[in-house]
Amino acid sequence: MRAWLRFSPIIVNETIISDTMKKYDINFNILRADISPRGGKMLVEIDGKQVQESIEYIKKRGIEVNPIKKVVKKDDEKCVDCGACLSLCPVKAICVMDDWEIGIDDQLCIGCGFCTSSCPMKAISVME
Amino acid sequence: MKKIEEINQKIKDGDVVVVTAAEMISVVAENGLKKAAEEVDVVTTGTFGAMCSSGAFLNFGHSDPPIKMYKTYLNNVEAYSGIAAVDAYLGASQPNRNPEIGIDYGGAHIIEDLIRGKEIKLVAEAYGTDCYPQKKIETYITMDKLNQAIMVNPRNCYQNYAVATNSTDETLYTYMGTLLPKFGNITYSSAGQLSPLLNDPYFETIGTGTKIFLCGGEGFIIGEGTQHATEVERMNDVPVSAAGTLMLKGDMKKMDPDYVRGASMPKYGPTLYTGVGVPIPILNEQIAARTAISDENITCRVIDYGIARRSRPVVRETNYAELKTGEIEINGVEIPTSPLSSYKKAEEIAEELKEWIINGKFYLTNPVEKLPSKDHFVKPLEIKKPSILIKDIKIKPVIIARPTEKINDVAKKLVENSINHLPVVDDKGKLMGIVTSWDIADAVARGKTDLKDVMTKKVVIAREEEPVDVIARRIDKYEISGLPIVDKDNKVKGMITTEDISRLIGESSRKNK
Ligand code: SF4
Ligand code: SF4
Repeated sequence: MRAWLRFSPIIVNETIISDTMKKYDINFNILRADISPRGGKMLVEIDGKQVQESIEYIKKRGIEVNPIKKVVKKDDEKCVDCGACLSLCPVKAICVMDDWEIGIDDQLCIGCGFCTSSCPMKAISVME
Repeated sequence: MKKIEEINQKIKDGDVVVVTAAEMISVVAENGLKKAAEEVDVVTTGTFGAMCSSGAFLNFGHSDPPIKMYKTYLNNVEAYSGIAAVDAYLGASQPNRNPEIGIDYGGAHIIEDLIRGKEIKLVAEAYGTDCYPQKKIETYITMDKLNQAIMVNPRNCYQNYAVATNSTDETLYTYMGTLLPKFGNITYSSAGQLSPLLNDPYFETIGTGTKIFLCGGEGFIIGEGTQHATEVERMNDVPVSAAGTLMLKGDMKKMDPDYVRGASMPKYGPTLYTGVGVPIPILNEQIAARTAISDENITCRVIDYGIARRSRPVVRETNYAELKTGEIEINGVEIPTSPLSSYKKAEEIAEELKEWIINGKFYLTNPVEKLPSKDHFVKPLEIKKPSILIKDIKIKPVIIARPTEKINDVAKKLVENSINHLPVVDDKGKLMGIVTSWDIADAVARGKTDLKDVMTKKVVIAREEEPVDVIARRIDKYEISGLPIVDKDNKVKGMITTEDISRLIGESSRKNK
C-alpha cells in the first residue's frame, strides 16, 4: 500500500522506520521524502505480510499515516491527450491507451511531479 | 476523373463516400488503388497541435465618447491596436503583462476564454483626437458583445516538422516541450498519416478558398502560410522536414472549446492548440494514392535542440510509425518519445468532418488559386552585425587550480590575480570543477582545507564555438557570474564573466554609434 507519512519535529531523529522494518519484516520503499529538522513528510510504499500491523506500530510511535490510492490527479476536462507528459515520466507510469488516450497508472506513479510542471494544459496535479 | 461539383451533388443526394486519411490506408490496401479512387469521394484529414502562429482580429465597437485605441489590453494581455480605432489583433503567444502571471495566461488563453463565453476585462489607452476624444476606457467584454471575432492564423498545419532531442547536460524548455538532458527524451509534433498537408503533398487540391474544419467551426484557407517552403528534400513524395504551411481564417463565434485550447509550453510561452481538418477530394488515382500514405512512409528528422543555432545538427532519421511506438534508438539506447500534438483529437476531427460531409452539412469548394508548389524557400534573417563567438573574444590567460591544492594557496591565487572564479583541472587540463572566492571564504569559515571538498563539480560551461549571446542567456538562466570556456576535449581555455559580457556589449554599442 501507499501512504504519506507525516513527522513531527520531535521524532525526526528516531529510528522508527528501521525498527518497523525489522519488527514486521516488511518492504519499505521511500518514493519521495521531504525531511528537515522541523519535521517532514514521506511518500512510501509498504508491502509484506504484516502491513496493517506495521502501520499500527508506526502510528503508535507518533507518525501520522495517510494512505492514498492516487498520487497525481489528471483533470480529463483539461487534458487534450497530447502526450507531452509521456516521455518525461521516469517510471513509465504514463501510457497511451488503445484509442490514443493518455492514462496515468496510479500503481507506478511516484509523485515526482515532472508531468505536472510540463503539461501545457496544467491538467495534472500532485495530490496532497 | 471526378469533379468537385460531382462530389457536391453526391453530398446533396446523400450517397457520398467519405473516409478518414487513416481509414484510406486500408481501403487502398484491400481494394486496390483503382477501385479506391473510384469509390471514395473525399478523404478527411485532421490535426490538433500547438500552433503558436495564431491569433484573432477583434472589433470592439465604439464607446461614447469614442476612443481611438492606441494600447489595448485584454485581461492584461496586450493586443495590437495600430489598426483603425477599435480593431485589435490578439496574438496567441503574447504573454501577460503581469510578470507574476507571465506565460501562464496569455493571448491563447484569452482566445479560449472568449470562445467559452467568459467575460474579459478590456483596458484601452489613447492619445485623444478631435474625433476620438476619449483617452482611456475600462470595461468588460464577452464574445456576444464583439462585432467580429475572427481567428486569422498566419502559419498553421506545418507539412512535417523536426523531431526534437537534447544532447546537452541541461534540461531545455522549448516550443517543442521539455527536453531532458543527454538525449533523455524525444518530442515530435505532427499528426503523421492524418496530417492535412502530408496527404496532399503537392497541393493538388487545396488552395486559397478551400473550406475547412477550424476549431469546431467552418473556416477557410486564405493562402499559403508564412515560411511556406516547397523546395525541400522528399521521400515517398512527402517532405522530410518543415515545408508547406497554411494561412487560415475562421469565425470564432462558431468555434467549440473542445477543438481549441490555450496552453503554455513550460518556461517557453503561451501557444494555441488548434484543431484543423482539411477535406481532400479524390479527383483521380494519383490523389487517392497520396492520401493513402501511412506513418511508416513519412520520414522525419531528429534534431539536436541543444545547439541553439539556426541550423541544428540532425541526429538521425526516423518515421512516425517508429515514433508512435513510444521509443526510438539513439546511440544504442532506447529513448522515450512524446507526441506534442494529440493524435486522439486529430482522429476526432477527421471523424467529425467526415460526419459533416456525410450528413450534408459541409460542401467542398474549388480553390480560387492553388497554393504555390514550387520556388518557395525560407530565407534566413541576416543580421548585419554577425554574432560574436566565444573563441573570437580576447580572454586573459587562464589561471587554474589542481584538486590537490590547499585552500590557502587557492585564496592567494584569487587575490593576487584579482579574480573571482578558478577552474579546477586534472593533469591533462580537463575541467573537474570550479571554485569561487565565495566558496573559499565559506571553506575558511567552516575550517575545510582541501580544494576537492570545496569545489563545485557540476559546472555550467561555455564552449568555444558558442555565440556570446547564448552564453549571456546561460549566465542569466543560472544566475551565475562566470563560467569556464572549454574546447572539444573538455580542456579549459579560459573564463568568461559577466564583466566580460557587459564590456563587449558596451564596445559594440559604441561602435554602432
Ligand atoms: S501533457 Fe497534459 S494535456 Fe498532454 S496528455 Fe499529458 S496530461 Fe494531458
Ligand atoms: S508524477 Fe512523476 S511518476 Fe507520477 S506520473 Fe507524473 S512523471 Fe510519472
